[in-house]
Amino acid sequence: MPIIVSEPSTNRGKKDARRHREKQKEVIIKKLPEIIANESIITRKGNKTVKIPIKMLGLPSFRQKTGEDSEGIGQGKGQPGDVMGHRPGTGQPGEPGQEPGEDYLDTEIEIEEIIELMLEDLGLPKLEEREIKELLIEIGYKIGGIIRSGPWPLLDRKTTVQEGMRRFWCLLENLRAETGLDEITCFNAIKQANGLFGEALELIRQKSVMNSESIVIPFPIFDAQDMRYREIQQDTENQSNAVIIAMRDVSGSMDNMKVYLSQAMLFWLVRWLEQVYKKVEIRFVAHDTVARIVSEEDFFRIGSGGGTNCYSAYELANSLIESDYPTNRWNVYVWHFSDGEDGNTDRTVEEIIKLIQKGVNMVGYGEVQPEAEGKWFSSGRSWLWKEFLKKFNLSESKVDGLEIAEGKKDLPFLCIRLTQREHILPALKSFLKKDRWAR
Amino acid sequence: MKQQDIDRLITLEQRMKEIAQEYGLMTTEIDFEITTAQRVLEGMSYGFPINFSHWTFGRDYEKYRTIYEHTGSGIPYEQVWNFERPKAFLVETNPFALNVLVIAHVYGHIDFFLANRYLCHGRSFSDIAKEARNASKRFQDYEERYGAKEVEAIIDAGMSIKWHRNSDPFFEEPDEETVREELIRIERAKLERFDNIESKFKKLETPEEIAQIERRLEKLSTKTPPEPTYDILKYIINKSPKPLKPWMVDVLTVIRNQARSLAPNMKTKGLDEGWATYWHVRIMRRLFEEGLITPEEHGIFNNFHAGVTRESRAGFNWYRIFLSLFEDIKERWDRGRFGRDYEEEQSAQKRKHWDTGAGLGDKKIFEVRSFYSDRMAVEEFFTDDFIRQEELYIWAGLSGNNGEITYMITEDDPSEIRKMLKENFTHYGIPLIRVENGNHNGQNHLMLRHIDNGYELDSRYAIATLEKIHKIWGKKVFLITRANDKNETLTYDYDGKSK
Repeated sequence: MPIIVSEPSTNRGKKDARRHREKQKEVIIKKLPEIIANESIITRKGNKTVKIPIKMLGLPSFRQKTGEDSEGIGQGKGQPGDVMGHRPGTGQPGEPGQEPGEDYLDTEIEIEEIIELMLEDLGLPKLEEREIKELLIEIGYKIGGIIRSGPWPLLDRKTTVQEGMRRFWCLLENLRAETGLDEITCFNAIKQANGLFGEALELIRQKSVMNSESIVIPFPIFDAQDMRYREIQQDTENQSNAVIIAMRDVSGSMDNMKVYLSQAMLFWLVRWLEQVYKKVEIRFVAHDTVARIVSEEDFFRIGSGGGTNCYSAYELANSLIESDYPTNRWNVYVWHFSDGEDGNTDRTVEEIIKLIQKGVNMVGYGEVQPEAEGKWFSSGRSWLWKEFLKKFNLSESKVDGLEIAEGKKDLPFLCIRLTQREHILPALKSFLKKDRWAR
Repeated sequence: MKQQDIDRLITLEQRMKEIAQEYGLMTTEIDFEITTAQRVLEGMSYGFPINFSHWTFGRDYEKYRTIYEHTGSGIPYEQVWNFERPKAFLVETNPFALNVLVIAHVYGHIDFFLANRYLCHGRSFSDIAKEARNASKRFQDYEERYGAKEVEAIIDAGMSIKWHRNSDPFFEEPDEETVREELIRIERAKLERFDNIESKFKKLETPEEIAQIERRLEKLSTKTPPEPTYDILKYIINKSPKPLKPWMVDVLTVIRNQARSLAPNMKTKGLDEGWATYWHVRIMRRLFEEGLITPEEHGIFNNFHAGVTRESRAGFNWYRIFLSLFEDIKERWDRGRFGRDYEEEQSAQKRKHWDTGAGLGDKKIFEVRSFYSDRMAVEEFFTDDFIRQEELYIWAGLSGNNGEITYMITEDDPSEIRKMLKENFTHYGIPLIRVENGNHNGQNHLMLRHIDNGYELDSRYAIATLEKIHKIWGKKVFLITRANDKNETLTYDYDGKSK
């Protein structure tokens, strides 16, 4: 019979497809600096997935050089010059297989996945292996359980009476078992003896029980161990809150690159914290010589002339923490973006010390100087950077071209110097590394 | 699939075979396997019913599956293999009428397999399906023993160059010593000629000439390959100084054999699909006329047929265009629209109504199916009239600012279109590259040369491919090619260190 029913399938396709995706991931990791610096990603709101055009991978082979433009044979009505369609540069996916150049399949990636790839790249554990960070918070007192001792005002009458009734029935049964007499006689004996077992037994033996009652009317009998008191407990709650206090020096010239660098850094910090905490708030503080709370739009837009007092921002952060974000209930991240000028570095340092003493998770300082030249490290560092180095005894290093100064041991202070797009990834890595975020 | 459907399919299959024979198609016993869509998708991606694991197969599987599951098109339609006992898949979840169509279509393919000289040659290799099935087990074993990454690297390398071979599909690469002996014999004959032939026209050989021949002879005794070879993979398998371990030789040999057995299919893909489509239309029509399928089933068939032969704005739909080609050839030869008289006729009116009643259509299409490759068919039958009738054009994707690409029709001149098609169908777009020296610099370096056919190689791909070759050659590899339309020679090389 030429028509046969098949043997079961092998699933080889799925397995090998996984290997292809793994290889694609390797490519994505290589492209991470570009991907995370992509403006169309960092300015988007809400949506948790981004679409990135990723070429399906192929093996190299000797092939003819083609121009940058693709071409091919097609069929249908039309003449030279007719436009058949467009393929947008970014964002929109093309329908696979419908358009020329089907090698590109736009792959959707969740932001979470991008963060995971960053972790993988850093050799850090994956997200599902981490727990949501929770804080145990005392919110007052509450009535907890019932205990056998306590102050008189906390006596739990209802429970105590229940215990007393139980003792009554218990006594009655025991007396009946002991004497073999009927329930009514035993009850009268107990009543006459005021609930004392020994006395009741004695009354029965001396046959001096007065049969004053004809039915059993139970009453509670209290012993010291029958007293029940309410327990007062400390009330706590697990909360998972984080706040980023984002601060920016708005004095001096504004340029797109400065805005972009701080925006990109903040975007990814927020996205990261959203993976770790259930609730993430972000407050924006703009400052020149004085600091004020502004909206997100203004934060990236406004600029002003004149001098700079960084301490004003840190001072405002301190009072925000006191009023709205106590560190026993909030994980607090303070990030300051500045070009390194400061009118009063002593006070700035003072305010930072206050923040750290308050127990914030970290203070981050991002120096945004796209126009600065590369020799900066060896020659003059900014005034503020130098002060930080000295006062906090920071250790300096360079990672993937990014200059970093960080607090030693447990000092949660990180300074990074962003001058170009390529710095975003190493900056994030320096933040994610060593569980700095998780203090 | 219900047993009664299977029974009906068996009855229909028998009738279809008879119809095929009545039409003059060659037939044989075919195994039709009723299976899942997934297995057919795997078959499409792996080249054989069961084959070894590789991520490129997985990638194709993922692609076909995505298209199948999300767009509803690309229904696993037919998979048939050119084996000694051919095998084809039917998908259990496909509509009944579609499975009938697949059987009709497969009968077209089988005739093509049995009659086309390229495909007969493709079948002449050992039982390639069995070899693929066995290889899948052996390769798995290698993965466990030598590591999946290492096995993958060897497969990657082999796959990168698997299509490189002599451009004559019937050419059997002789072994190196045979070639060497033959070349030495020719040179010796030249020397003897100087000694033996007495002729007054004979120039006296100069000592230089003799010395030259002797030098050549000396060189020949050690030169490898004695004569340049296009079968890069075979040369590496035999001569790699790496040296290759037995399992690596096995992996590369399997890859080479599979490519050699599949190459004839690539050479005739258009004619093969066109032929099968041409006959499935006729077989299905007969079934309908004989009342063996219902009007409703015939309607479903028509729908699928229309889908498969839909025109593609930005692609070359083999099914549609080669179906039209066979119909066009049949009509032309039936009406005598060929030969000098017809071709030299200038009057469009006369050409339009030209009919000598020659009635040679069937004979001609059967001849084409037996002896032609796609390239030959394009050259001979893609006439200006045919290209215009089919409304073919060349499109280009032009990139603008911000990365947007605009697709535009750029050319409808039939001779330009024919030129492009011919290029695409020659060596399946694979450049000619030959091994010139396996002991370059006296250090076992591999010297490859790109035989210029007017096109420059893409340098990034060339270097990446050399890296792959280096993986299985183990020593430095060179590629000589030409750049920038000038006669400038370019040499790429790779010695294992990334640059």
